[in-house]
Amino acid sequence: MMKMRELINCVVPENLDEYRDVFVYIEHSDGHIKKSTLEMLGEGKKLAKKTDEKLVGVAVGEELTPIAKEAEEYGCDIFLGTESPDLKDFASVPYTNYLAEMIEDYKPNIFLMSGTREGRDLVSRIAIRVMTGVAADCIELDIVENTKILSAWRPSFGDKTIDQILCRKHRPQTITSRPGSYKVAEKQPGNKCDIKIKKVTVPEAMKKRKILSFRPKDRLDLTSAKKIVSGGLGLGKPEGFELIRNLADELNAEVGASRPVVDLGWIPYEHQVGQTGQTVRAKLYIAAGISGKIQHTVGMINSENIVSINNDPEAEIAKVSDYFIKADLYDAIPKIIEEVQKYKNGKAVVGESPEKAA
Amino acid sequence: MVLDIIVMIKQVPDAEEIFIDPVKFTLNRSQARGVINPADENALEAALMIKDKTPAKITVITMGPPAAESALLECMGRGADRGILITDRAFAAADTYATSLTLAAAVKKIGRFDLILAGESTTDSGTGHVGPGVAEFMQADQVTYSTSVKIEGDTIIAERELEHGIEVVQTPMPALVTMLINANIPRRSSLRRRIDAMRKGIETMDHESLGLPPEWVGIKGSPTIVGSLKIPEEKKRLNKTITLEEIPEMVKELIENKAIVLGDDEDA
Ligand SMILES: Cc1cc2nc3c(=O)[nH]c(=O)nc-3n(C[C@H](O)[C@H](O)[C@H](O)COP(=O)(O)OP(=O)(O)OC[C@H]3O[C@@H](n4cnc5c(N)ncnc54)[C@H](O)[C@@H]3O)c2cc1C
Ligand SMILES: Nc1ncnc2c1ncn2[C@@H]1O[C@H](COP(=O)(O)O)[C@@H](O)[C@H]1O
Repeated sequence: MMKMRELINCVVPENLDEYRDVFVYIEHSDGHIKKSTLEMLGEGKKLAKKTDEKLVGVAVGEELTPIAKEAEEYGCDIFLGTESPDLKDFASVPYTNYLAEMIEDYKPNIFLMSGTREGRDLVSRIAIRVMTGVAADCIELDIVENTKILSAWRPSFGDKTIDQILCRKHRPQTITSRPGSYKVAEKQPGNKCDIKIKKVTVPEAMKKRKILSFRPKDRLDLTSAKKIVSGGLGLGKPEGFELIRNLADELNAEVGASRPVVDLGWIPYEHQVGQTGQTVRAKLYIAAGISGKIQHTVGMINSENIVSINNDPEAEIAKVSDYFIKADLYDAIPKIIEEVQKYKNGKAVVGESPEKAA
Repeated sequence: MVLDIIVMIKQVPDAEEIFIDPVKFTLNRSQARGVINPADENALEAALMIKDKTPAKITVITMGPPAAESALLECMGRGADRGILITDRAFAAADTYATSLTLAAAVKKIGRFDLILAGESTTDSGTGHVGPGVAEFMQADQVTYSTSVKIEGDTIIAERELEHGIEVVQTPMPALVTMLINANIPRRSSLRRRIDAMRKGIETMDHESLGLPPEWVGIKGSPTIVGSLKIPEEKKRLNKTITLEEIPEMVKELIENKAIVLGDDEDA
């Protein structure tokens, strides 16, 4: 009953020079290219210019002509698609199959995917099928000077270091990128794209997976939040999150949390920031009643302005803070709210000293 | 019928104990205490929850240094039946291709499975590639980002959490499922079971017993290499310690810095 692929080492292709051009996997929904893919198209164009190669969009789906048109607007030189009514919904096995076919036929030098849930699900299956390596979750891409080698930078261990990943002998050089790390491609009016869409019949063996239901629900995405107010064990009680929520509402911010308060059930997991929660890059991060253990700080250290509130003068969080408010959070938060309100209803104005306005 | 379930776990360094070697400029993981990768604890718990209802045999496998034995004993203490340590100096510095290949070879050697459970990703390398990589070698379907999984006849039904919603899928076994961190609450190990596990012992496999040539595994079998490494510049912090009385000044500065934006020009 167990069938498996031949276990085979990652074979080095004979003629590396045959591999050319930059593939970008195009994720789409409702007839439009997703924003995370537009980032990769922008990045792909930049790399293709450096190696003097073409930008090729590749997609799988039910009805790809509108996607191809959009890919043309965003600078693709070539669009390759595989189309079938059975490919309407994403499924790992058939999608891997048709993408791998397009890769094996075309032999691209570079293959870029966005690290969305779909991209991450697909990438390593494809890489093993076509026998190449992957650099995951990259935040910076470049070409090693005077070569066609991709230099892919990815953060490792909670962003403490950034590693350069090279795939010197295998093709295509494949990466996933961290969504939100790159600029979206610019439209290129008048661009001409060579569109090739193939219709296929999906074999029964690949159609055994069924989607029984789908409940739309937006996951709280703290990774793209501009402002976050987080609460930790220092709140002392679950109701403390009401105060956190008040400040967050005042600042138009999202609510974050440390792990212990999530474990205690004071707030759902989707609010957790840190090593085992979300990694955020806010413009303003306020940590109230959080001690500043490394597993928390790795998730928020890339925020631009960090404010912390803690009644322990020795708390580690002070080291990573721009403002460390040495006070009880139940005194400090109402005071911050009060101050912000003063500006909102014009009782204080930027440029004047707040004391005078108060 | 007894279900054969394989759970893949990895021991990862406890983040708190990781530091960067200032001389060699490398990440020093060797001195950090090992813990079971958090999502893998959820994968094991998902397997145990199936076993609570259906006759099942759970085999836990890990590729890692000899010290990873303790992680396997912990899993057996929680209710797994068998622990296999895949260990060999030749496996060192494997990337996700070589890791998936080695784990797939172990699955092949085990001989059969209905379901493989893995964590969605690890906290130390965090690629999330190894689960799907093994599924590809096994030519089995994969259900990623799952929060729950149950058996129905010869299929599994799993809930997956995607960006915009929850999808429920059904797929035939054999299949591989990756579990999201916090998908369930891992049970504790029992002392009695731990003692039984220590008596029973852990099996080991190396490249020879797996039938893998040494150049297919570890760093030699890895298509990717780490070229160089940089330490992200730590942002200079203002490091101002302030009292309640100084909050107005702080709010003013944050507004001037556009960290707090008043009015509607939010995303400007
Ligand atoms: C494998 C692993 C993964 C982990 N992942 C994460 C993660 O993703 N995210 C995470 O956050 N943690 C994570 N942790 C846990 C982490 O190590 C810390 O235990 C946790 O961050 C501490 O949470 P805390 O700061 O809320 O609580 P504490 O450390 O208890 O700190 C509470 C703070 O509140 C202060 N305080 C108390 N009362 C008041 C008051 N009235 N006013 C102001 N201050 C007050 C105290 O002085 C103290 O500094 C992980 C741990 C492990 C082992
Ligand atoms: N060395 C390993 N031994 C056993 N399982 C592993 C190993 N590395 C990764 N895995 C499994 O694959 C999952 C994803 O790992 P990663 O691709 O490293 O994020 C983990 O949660 C484990 O279930």
